[in-house]
Amino acid sequence: MVDFMLAAVIAAFLNIGLLLVTITTYVQNMRVIRSYYTSGLVLVALLLMIQNVVIVIFWFTLYMDDKALMMSADMVAHYLFAINVIQTIGLSVLVGITRR
Amino acid sequence: MQSYLLNNDFENFQKEFFIFNTLCEQLVIGATVIFPVFSFSTIVPKTIFSFLGSDSEQPQPNPKFKMILWLIIAGTRGGPNRAKILSLIKDTPMNANKISKVLNVDHKTIDHHVKVLSKNDLIVKAEKDYGAEYHLSPIMKENQDALEEIMRKIGTR
Repeated sequence: MVDFMLAAVIAAFLNIGLLLVTITTYVQNMRVIRSYYTSGLVLVALLLMIQNVVIVIFWFTLYMDDKALMMSADMVAHYLFAINVIQTIGLSVLVGITRR
Repeated sequence: MQSYLLNNDFENFQKEFFIFNTLCEQLVIGATVIFPVFSFSTIVPKTIFSFLGSDSEQPQPNPKFKMILWLIIAGTRGGPNRAKILSLIKDTPMNANKISKVLNVDHKTIDHHVKVLSKNDLIVKAEKDYGAEYHLSPIMKENQDALEEIMRKIGTR
């Protein structure tokens, strides 16, 4: 049986990696072009990064602290997996465009 | 309404249903008058670029094109170099070799940038095959103000 929660967290780590690549590019551009546009791109990428870090923290808290909570979270884990994988696909496309 | 149906009082049900429908229509008409319908495509670019600061007296570049230009220059790796290339060939068309010499950037890098700019229809290659010069595309020429705005931001650093 697929452990959706574990898969979701792996996707979250992948998202963090992809976002790091994106943020690096955006920061490099922001250092040359100081504008609301470049700052906005960095901000959006940073917020998405925070979102994924929170997902990872959520997973750790869930699995380390509370077994009962873990059981109920497993029941909806496929939704979290779907959310994260869709984000991974989206971010992969964005990185592809950004690094082209 | 359900009670009318249960009691087989179809006439009263029809009356109430008519009143309900008329009320709904009035509500929709009222809402349209109070909140006029704006096109999403006109609001979004205006909102995004309102903070970029521009002179309202001068002819404005196409907001959609401006957005694409910002994305290509500010949202991609090597974007600032692409802006420099566009600015360089704005007045004098140049071939890739000359651009690389003027900007002091590797020839392969310039080739790549030039390819991306051509694909996005920002620059056009002259018909000559070897050492062909690049010049701005008509749409890029029309919206040079957008490029100048970005170049001013680069110039501040």
